[in-house]
Amino acid sequence: MAKKKVDKSYDLKAAKELYYEYLERGKEIKDFEQPVDTIKIEDLSRNKILNRIYKLTDTIIKQIYNTGRPSIELPSRSSSNIIWDEENDLLLLGKQIMEKQFHSLTSVADITRLMRVLEVVTELLNEDLHATKREVFYTDVNLFSEQKNSDKSIEDVSTMLYTSRNSTHIVAAPRGSCVGRLRIRDRTDIIDLEAQGSGGWTISPFLDQIEIIESDAELILVIEKNAAMMRLAEDRFWRKYPCILLTAQGVGNVATRMFLKRLNKELNLPTFTLVDSDPYGHYIHSVYLRGSKRLSYESPFLATPNIKLLGVLTRDLDKYQIPKAARIRMNKQDEKRTKDLLKEDFVKKNKAWETDLQLAIKLREKAEIQAFATHGFKFLTDEYLPEKLTTGDWI
Amino acid sequence: MDIKLFRKKDGGVIQLVDKEKMKNWPVELPLIFIEYIREKKLDRYEDNTIKKDIESYLDEIMKEIAIPRLIGVLDSENDEEIILSLTRILDVAKKNIEMVKPIQKYLVDLQKSKNNKVVELSKNISEMFVKAERRKELARKRKIMRQKEKEFLDGKITAQDYAKIRKEYLLLKE
Repeated sequence: MAKKKVDKSYDLKAAKELYYEYLERGKEIKDFEQPVDTIKIEDLSRNKILNRIYKLTDTIIKQIYNTGRPSIELPSRSSSNIIWDEENDLLLLGKQIMEKQFHSLTSVADITRLMRVLEVVTELLNEDLHATKREVFYTDVNLFSEQKNSDKSIEDVSTMLYTSRNSTHIVAAPRGSCVGRLRIRDRTDIIDLEAQGSGGWTISPFLDQIEIIESDAELILVIEKNAAMMRLAEDRFWRKYPCILLTAQGVGNVATRMFLKRLNKELNLPTFTLVDSDPYGHYIHSVYLRGSKRLSYESPFLATPNIKLLGVLTRDLDKYQIPKAARIRMNKQDEKRTKDLLKEDFVKKNKAWETDLQLAIKLREKAEIQAFATHGFKFLTDEYLPEKLTTGDWI
Repeated sequence: MDIKLFRKKDGGVIQLVDKEKMKNWPVELPLIFIEYIREKKLDRYEDNTIKKDIESYLDEIMKEIAIPRLIGVLDSENDEEIILSLTRILDVAKKNIEMVKPIQKYLVDLQKSKNNKVVELSKNISEMFVKAERRKELARKRKIMRQKEKEFLDGKITAQDYAKIRKEYLLLKE
């Protein structure tokens, strides 16, 4: 059935006010200060990281000569060592150190894999090449057996060297995409993100080669789903409302989160997420906001602490009259995930967020972004998003 | 600072990369950037004040970064870098010869180089300057031609004077 077209105009007043506020405040933004009880991870140049590897190797060789029982120490990545830094609103890695021994039967496989990854990293850095996590796995399938093992060793190597994963030249396969009012430089090419077709520009994992060179955007919108991104791209949403659109097609991968952080920091623009109204959507927002537990050691490079949850909020389901047929009953796992989120300190400190999650528990309902299509395919771009950005209805 | 802000009257902002960052760019890229913003973006900014401010920022980039960096390379003795720069300059010159005009005088010396590729590239760029000059001269003569045609039809100049100017124009055109 054709929907009644409501001809309203939106000036995105609330989003613009936030934009002007950021512009004014921009001059006062101070650098991130690392809390004393957390470890400091640095983005390092190729030479610096190679030096760290050589020093580490020297220490191991000395231990072999002196005691015959070498071991290595690295920051623990267990949940008990993950600290929420309230001031900076980030998940960081504490100072607990764990020891891995070469001669112990319980850790020999683990440490062998770790040393193999260290060898791969050294090779990549020496030849100034990059490899994906999948490629690292295929360097020694028999040793790693499953990719989750090589992934874990990659993360261990980064923490052991106190550096970001990108500095080790191991990158994630490209997954995210970006379109809108933005021009970037990739080595010697200038790329216009308004002229990349509806698929957009694939966010390069080689972000050290990317530079922002021009933008007249006034906000950034991060979208959970590729389908919703396509809807906005097809409508050329950024033409009517100057913005940059990004998606990672699910949880933000390292490259997407790192690129978003750079956009947010360098362009100093208000940034919003549009996710499904379910605990997983809220979790995706939280990962952009303060980092993931698994990669907490990299949070200062990946998190965007001023990102706002624009929608889809639980309260939006009634407000925008999402029909019952388009809502989905929460299952037990959804309820558990929502309750787990409610236990997190960063949710407890944000009353609006806590209230919305409590409403989800009460209603036991969830909905996808696509549920707005029940009001017409253009409802999302013509009504929902502009109205929310005009009224400031976000968390 | 990574970004330079230009505030529009409507409250919006144009953000452009800071010129200091361009000091680390490949040598020809500042020129390409200037050309890109001038040709693809300036008209879209609408606000005339901002257009003027951005134009003068682009001029600053040209004067302080783009040209000195190109000259720095062309003045060096590293043939490999010179060849790379000349190749890029040739690409830019094909699109807009005016942008690379400040390096014209360096081409004379480069044509005496012992490296054949350097000589070939500098000759190609020099020829483009010559052709561009000819096109400019032709346009100037065409303008005069039209004026003289009008004067001839009005009986203000003789057929002989008109024929002389016409001949000069046709020779140049060939």
